[in-house]
Formats: sequence, C-alpha cells, structure tokens
Amino acid sequence: MEELIKNGYSRRESGTEYMFLILERFKAVAEKGEPEDVIEAYKGIVDELKERRPVNAGAWNIMREIGKYLIEKDYDKDSFISFIEGLRKKIDDSCWEAARVASHRVLRDDTIITLSRGVCLRRFFKILADTGKKVKVYVMESRPGMEGIDLADYLDKLGFEIYLIVDSAARFLVKNCTKAFISAEAVAVNGAVVGKVGSSLLSLASNEARVRVYVIAPLYKFSPETIYGELLKLPEGDWTLLMSPDIRAMLPENYRARAPIYDVTPPQYIDGIATDVGLFAPQAVPVILKQIYGSFPPRILRVDEIIESLEKKYMW
Amino acid sequence: MYMKIPEEVFKIAEDIKTMRIRGAGRIARAAAKALKIAAQKYDGVNDSYEFRRFMARVADLLVSTRPTAVSLPNAVYYVMYHLEKAEGNVAELRDAVIHAADTFIAESLEAVKKIGIIGAKRIKDDAVVLTHCHSTAAVSVIVEAYRMGKIRHVYSTETRPFFQGRITFRHLTREGVPVTQIPDSAVRYIMHEVDQVVVGADTVTSNGAVVNKIGTSQVALAAHEARVRVFVAAETYKFSPATVIGELVPIEFRDPTEIVPADWIASHPNVRVLNPSFDITPPEYIDAIITELGVIPPQSAILILLERFGWALEKIKQGGIGRIRFEETLEE
Repeated sequence: MEELIKNGYSRRESGTEYMFLILERFKAVAEKGEPEDVIEAYKGIVDELKERRPVNAGAWNIMREIGKYLIEKDYDKDSFISFIEGLRKKIDDSCWEAARVASHRVLRDDTIITLSRGVCLRRFFKILADTGKKVKVYVMESRPGMEGIDLADYLDKLGFEIYLIVDSAARFLVKNCTKAFISAEAVAVNGAVVGKVGSSLLSLASNEARVRVYVIAPLYKFSPETIYGELLKLPEGDWTLLMSPDIRAMLPENYRARAPIYDVTPPQYIDGIATDVGLFAPQAVPVILKQIYGSFPPRILRVDEIIESLEKKYMW
Repeated sequence: MYMKIPEEVFKIAEDIKTMRIRGAGRIARAAAKALKIAAQKYDGVNDSYEFRRFMARVADLLVSTRPTAVSLPNAVYYVMYHLEKAEGNVAELRDAVIHAADTFIAESLEAVKKIGIIGAKRIKDDAVVLTHCHSTAAVSVIVEAYRMGKIRHVYSTETRPFFQGRITFRHLTREGVPVTQIPDSAVRYIMHEVDQVVVGADTVTSNGAVVNKIGTSQVALAAHEARVRVFVAAETYKFSPATVIGELVPIEFRDPTEIVPADWIASHPNVRVLNPSFDITPPEYIDAIITELGVIPPQSAILILLERFGWALEKIKQGGIGRIRFEETLEE
C-alpha cells in the first residue's frame, strides 16, 4: 500500500457513505445534547458540505429533509433519533433497489467497464455475484484517489474475473466490453450526471464504441436545485490528491497540478439511469421529479431559508 | 569468403539489442552510424557486388536487433536505398553510404528543431495547449510557439503508469512555459479550456493512424468532441513502411507492477492488471501531422513513406518487415 499511497491512493468516502456519516453525526449529537446543539451541528454540516462536497446532491437532500422535520415538529430527542434512523434506512433501501434495477440489465456473458467505488455500484456487483452473473469487469484505476484499486479488491473477494487498467486505457479497452456502469454524485434536471472524474471520458469512449452506458443513481441523488438554474460547481484539488509529500519534494518547486474530483456526463451519452423506482432515460428526470415532489416545478426549501427558520425557532 | 563485419558494428548492434541505446532517435542514428562505419572499414575484394553484399549483411544484422522498432529499420532502409540507387566502383558506393548515413544523422538531429519551427506556426495566438506524455517533438513545437509569444498556458497529463508528464513539466518550465499538470482522467473535463492539442508519435501507419502512448487516442477523442484541433509532431523516421503491406503495429503490454505493486497482485488472484503501452488514434481525430518535411494531413502519410522509403516499400512487399533479408534482395 505504501507504494500506492506515494502515487496518490487514498480512501475518500463515496457520496452515499458521506450521507451515512452525516446521519451518524446527527444521531450522536442528538443522543448527548439539546436541540440547540442539533441546530449548531446542522449549520456546521452545511458549512462543511459547501466546502468539501458541494455537489453531493444526496447530502443536500437529506439536509433539507432534516431541516424540514426540525421546523415542522416539536423537538423530542427520541423521535428525532428515530427519524434519523428511518432516513438512513430509506437511503439504504433506495441504494439497494437502484442496484437491483441496474443488475437486471446485465446478461451472464457481459463484460462490464466501470470506475471508482460508489456504494450502490458495489451493491450492484454484490447482487450480480449473488444471482450467479459472473461477468468480467474492467476497472479503471480512477485517479485522483485511485478508488478503482478498492473496487478491484472488493470484486476480487466476490470472485469476478477482473481487469485493472489505468484511466488512459479506457478507450483502448472499452471495445472488449459490452456495457459501462457508473455511479453518480448528483443528477441534474436535464439528466446530466455528476460522477467521479473520468466518468464522462469513459461514457464518451463507450458511445464511440457503441457500448451502452448506465448510471446507478437512487432518487436521493437528484438535485432539485438545478431546476431553478443552479449550476453545480465542481470542486477541485491540487497535487496533494495525486502524490505523497515525498514524491512532491522530488518535483520542481513550481510544480502545479489541478485535480478535478468530478466531471459531468451529458445526458446524450447515457442510455439509462437505474433508480429505486426503475430505469429510465436521463431526459425523463423532470417526470420523475414530479412524481417525487407531486408537482413540477417542485417547491423546495433552500438550505439558508431552513437555517433562518431553525434559528428563529430554536435559538431565540 | 565473406568480409568480416567490424567489431564496432557488432558493438552498436549489441547496444541496441540490450537497450543500452534507447529512444527512437538515438537508435536510428546509431544504426546509420553503424552502416557508415561498416562502409568505411570495408577492405574486402574491390568488387561493387561484393561491397553491396557486405553492406546488406550489416543491414540485416542491424534490423534483426529490434524487430518491432520503427526508427531502426527506417534508418537502415534510408541508407540502403541510397546505396541501391548509387552506381560505380567500391569507392563511389562507399561514398554514397557515408553520405547517406551522415545526411540521415544530420537530418534526424535537425528534425526536432524543424518540427518545432513548422509546428509553432500552427499554434494560435494566446493559445492554451494540452499535451500528453512526453514527446521531444511536441515539446519543441510548444517551446517554439512560446518563444513566439503564442502560448498562454499548457496542460500536461500525468501519464500513468510512469508519469512521463512530469518530464514534460520539467522541460517546459525550464523554458519558462506556464504548465499545469492534470490526471489522465481529467482530459475531457479540461478540454473546454483548451485551444489545441499537440502530441508526439511512436509510429505513424500508412493510413495515417498514430500509435502513441496509451491515452493519446482518448485525448484526441475528447478534443474531437470539443472541436479542438489535434496536431501530431512526428519525425519522418516514425512512419512505418511495414504497415503499407497491412502489417499491424504490435501493442506491447508491459509489466503489471508498473501499475500496482507485486504484493497487491499476489493477494488478488482474480485480478489481471492490463498495462498496454500504446493505443491507436485514428486519422479522423488528427488534424495534421507535423514532420520535418512539412505539415501533412494524416491520410497523406503514404506520401512520406514513398518520399522517404520508396525503395524499401518494394523490398518489404516482397518479404515483409522482420523477414526481409537485404542480402537476398541483391540482384546479381
């Protein structure tokens, strides 16, 4: 692992894992503290989200749900904890269900190409293994972070035949594959998918090679803000995501790097989005959002509006 | 009785074989030099046919050292082509070989500079350029364009698994060019900021496809999608005569431990690590190939091959590269 760490391998939570962490934090704060502490934690998490995972649509969606709960209900520790536990279960179930829907698209002799290590992506492979679909899997290394190494490790334990490749080899080897499956950090209203950087490159190369592209994205990954024209601002890192300080020390002092973490795959490169309510074309996102929120455009509370209401209710 | 091949020639052949001499340009120049030395040292019978036969044996020896390289046989073909065309006695043929070898070496050394000057003219003003891996010819184009005040910024890919992009970073920054490195996965993400792509080539095939470091073809694909022009900087000795008769350029798969450590591989029995060194960029994604002879559309690659290695093409058609024996092609 030491050599991999030198080259930038690191463990970063996937979108869904990050959501689970948020819920655990709420639970821990609620167990110990007063409602004011919960509100403080809420504000702290919002700041952290803006800074670290601004495009994690799932996290914003649960923050909205939690905020709505705290505004509408009279705070009671036990009820709040059971609400958080319920929310966790809902996310967990949705993720499994989206993975199951995606797995139906796979035939026994398929060769799949993928990248990164999303929770729903891993569950998708788990279902394939459990249902005896022992497909071949090409896994891209997925820099920065090299989470592809973790996915290959996971798939190795599930007994798949795996081919680990560098990100640059995607176009060269995609012709050996029959389907591409990617996970999402967010899905925009026009069906564009924010995923680990390299997803759009893989989707482009897949389209060129006429390999179908599927996105595994439970509905909690849909970003309702994008209906109102909000642009998803993609965060970037620097050399620290690409190498260890020892390696950096060997490079020129003025060495500069940009390490984007996500990219946007346009809807025209995506054949289907597998969600917990079924598989549909990316361009059908508004239809699905109407189903979830009951109207289009849906009325959504902005997080800063929520914070304002919470402060009014709990802090004064 | 055969005239013995001189020791110095054997030494060069051995150095090429064992990779003590590396890099397309160096290998090509070493081969030309070996032919020159052989011609100079020839002291066999004063008969032009015998001299040709001797040179053909030397050529066969040199070509056999690295059967899949392109620059090496091309250097040999170039010199042998001039010998084939030459007429006269041994002294005159010897002069022809020496002159051809010297010309090849000088032109090869000049080629990168010429490519830089020609290629720089193709760079737009205030351009943001993206390059992949490390190519001396591509760097030459970028540096020359920078000196002309045309380059605003350069994005250079890391180029896994060996990070040759770091060499590019050093070379460009040494010349003052502002460079930012990006991971290979980010080329499509960054492409909307890029005006032009300049890459090198390992081999150019007869239909204008470019074999180059793995990842080049997806850089070109992403550029094509974004309507960003792609230029390939390639010396003419990178053009492969063997592809004219339909031979495929072999893609080398290198050691998996270049990607992940051996202990990781050992503990993951179901994982095969595939490490292809090169990929193939189709000509439709390339706007122009910049050679020292000038700029050509990739589909005109055959022109360079005819111009540079016309004679060799005939010989190759008879036998195929690797199987061609110069000695057997001599006419009594």
